[in-house]
Amino acid sequence: MKMKKTLALTLAALMAVQLTACSGSETSSTSQTESQATENSSAGSSDEMTDEERIKAAAEAGKVGNWGLGNEYEIQALLTKYGLPIDYITQDFTMDQFDSDAITLASAMTYNELGLVKNDYDGALNYGDSVGIIDMNDQGVAMLEDNLFCSKKFAEENPNTVKAFVTASMKGWAYACEHPEEAAEIVFAAGSSVSAGHQEYMAKEVAKVVTTDTKGNPVSADKVGQMDEAAMQQTLDLAKKYIKLEDTAASEKLQSFTLDDIRSTEYLTYDPEKDGAPEKTSVSVQLKWLPQCQFMGYYVAQAKGYYEEVGLTVDIISGGGDISETTAVYNGTVDFGVTWVSNLINANAGGMDLLQVAQVYQRSALVLVYKK
Amino acid sequence: MTNKARLNLLASVLLPLCVAVLLFILWQTEVLHILLGTDTITLPLPTRIGEIIGQNADAIWEHTQISLRVALGGLVMGSVLGYGIALIATIFPKWGAGGLSIVSAFNAIPIVALAPVINNWTRDISTEVDQRSTVAKMLVVMIFCTASMSINAFRGLTELKPFSEDLMKTYAAKRGTVFLKLRLPNSIPYIFTALKVSVPSSIIGALVSEYFAEDTVGVGRQIRENIVKGQYPTAWAYIAVACIIGIALYAILMLVEHLVMKRRKG
Repeated sequence: MKMKKTLALTLAALMAVQLTACSGSETSSTSQTESQATENSSAGSSDEMTDEERIKAAAEAGKVGNWGLGNEYEIQALLTKYGLPIDYITQDFTMDQFDSDAITLASAMTYNELGLVKNDYDGALNYGDSVGIIDMNDQGVAMLEDNLFCSKKFAEENPNTVKAFVTASMKGWAYACEHPEEAAEIVFAAGSSVSAGHQEYMAKEVAKVVTTDTKGNPVSADKVGQMDEAAMQQTLDLAKKYIKLEDTAASEKLQSFTLDDIRSTEYLTYDPEKDGAPEKTSVSVQLKWLPQCQFMGYYVAQAKGYYEEVGLTVDIISGGGDISETTAVYNGTVDFGVTWVSNLINANAGGMDLLQVAQVYQRSALVLVYKK
Repeated sequence: MTNKARLNLLASVLLPLCVAVLLFILWQTEVLHILLGTDTITLPLPTRIGEIIGQNADAIWEHTQISLRVALGGLVMGSVLGYGIALIATIFPKWGAGGLSIVSAFNAIPIVALAPVINNWTRDISTEVDQRSTVAKMLVVMIFCTASMSINAFRGLTELKPFSEDLMKTYAAKRGTVFLKLRLPNSIPYIFTALKVSVPSSIIGALVSEYFAEDTVGVGRQIRENIVKGQYPTAWAYIAVACIIGIALYAILMLVEHLVMKRRKG
C-alpha cells in the first residue's frame, strides 16, 4: 500500500516538473510576439540603416549567427567594437536559419555560404542583390584564415621538403587564381563535395581573397603565400583578446606568444641547387574541409605536376565534420595541414608545437550577411 | 556479516576500486600512453585534468547543471511518455504491439539527423535561444528514453504471474481493479530495468544533443569545442565530469531501486 503512495507521489512530482517546463515556454512565447512587433516596426527603414545600427539591432534581438568552434573571434571582436555582448547563436552548416529569419545577421564565407545565399543554381537560395554584407576587413577586425603549417620538428628535420612543398603549392595557387575556371574543373574532377556551378563561383571568390590584402590592395602572383606582418599581428592580437581558455597554463602561454612562436617565413623560397633535394619525398596534406575550391591551389599543383617537378609525391587528404587538422599534424598522422591562424594559435597554446610556413588567404573571407 | 555478504561487497565495491586505482597508476606513470601509443597532450595526466577541474569548478558546475537539467528533463518526459504508450498498448493489445515497434524505430534515428529537425520545430517556442535550445535538447533525450520504458513497462503490465489474472477473474474483479492491484505493481521492477538503460543513455543523449544545439553551453558542447581547439586537458576535464555525472545518477537509481523493492517485499 505504501508503495502505491510513493508511486503516486513520484508521478505527481514528475508531472509538476513537466508543467513548470511547459509554462516556462509559454511565458516566453508572449515575449516573442512583443519583440516581433518591435522588429516589424523598424523593418521598414532597414534599407537606410547603417552597419552599426544593423549590428546593434541583430545583437539585441539575439540573432547574430556563427558556427563557433574557433570561427567566432572576428564576430566577437566586431560586437565588442560596438559595445555589445559577445553572444551569438550557433549556425548549422546550411543557411536555413538565415532564410527563416531565425538569424538576421548570419556568418558567411564570401566564397561559400554567401554564394549559396545570393546565387540561383541548384541548392542556393537566390537572394541576388536583395542581401547586403558587413565585411570584417572593412570593420578592422579581420583575422587571417587558411594557411599552411607543419610541426616545428618536421620543419627542422626536413627543411627542403617543407620549402619544396610550399613553393610548389604556392605555384599551384598562383596558377589557380589566374585561371579559376580551369581550377574549378580540376577540383570538381578530384572529387568535389559541391556542384560544378558553386565550385566555379568558389574558385573566383577564393582567388580574390588570395590576391587581395586586408586593405584592398592587390597581391602579385609571386607574393602568394606571403605573411603580411601587420595582418598577422592583428590576427594574433585579436586571438589573445578573444580566445578564452579555461586552462590557466595554456592561457598564460597564449598571452606570451609573439609572431615568431607561430610562423616562419624561411620556407617560402626554394632553390634545389643551393638547398639540396627534399629529405622526405612522400608527404601528405590534411585539408580543413571537404574537397572544394577553398583548397584549389593544392589540387592544381597536383594536377599540373608542380609537386613532381620538385621531387615530391603528395597525398591530399580532405577533412570534414570535426576533423582536427592541428592534432593530425601534431601526432604525425599527416605532414602538413591547412587551418585558420587562430586555430594554430589555440593548438600551440594547448602545448602543440606547430609552425605556419605559408599564409594563403591574404584577407578575411568572413562576412555577416543580412536581408536589405 | 556473513561470508556471502562479505564476498558480495568485495565483488561490487573493492574490485572496481582496485581496477580504478590500477588504471590511475598506469595513467599517471605514462605506461598507459605507451600501451595506447599516444602522448600527454592528447591524453593528459590525471593530475593535470584534476588541476583544471579545480581551477574552473564554477564554470564546470554551470555547464554540469545545464546538462543535468536536459538529461533529467528528457528522461522524465521520455519515461512518462514511454509508460503512457505502454498503458495504451495494454488497454488496446491488438495494435499495441505494432505501436511499440514504431516507438523502437524512432529510437534508432541518429541524433545527427534528428537535431536539426527538432531545432526547426522549437524555433518558435521562444526568442531566448537558451530556452528554445533547452526544449530542443530535452526532446532529443526524450526520444532516446521513450523506447526502453515503453517496451519494458509493456512487459511489466502484460506478463503477469501464471493464474494471477485468472484468480482476479474468479474474484469478479473489474478491469480497473485488475489494473491497480495486479498490473501496476507488477510493472514496478520493469520500470527500474528500463531506467537502468535510459539513465546512462539520457546523459549521452544530452551531451550529444548539445553538439547540435543553437546554444553553445553544456558539458558535451565544451568537450567538442575544446577538442576542436586542441585544448585536450580541458576537454578531458569535461569528459571526467560527464563520467562522474553518469556514475552518480546510476548510483542514485540503484539506491532508489533498493529502497522501493525492499518496501515491496516488506
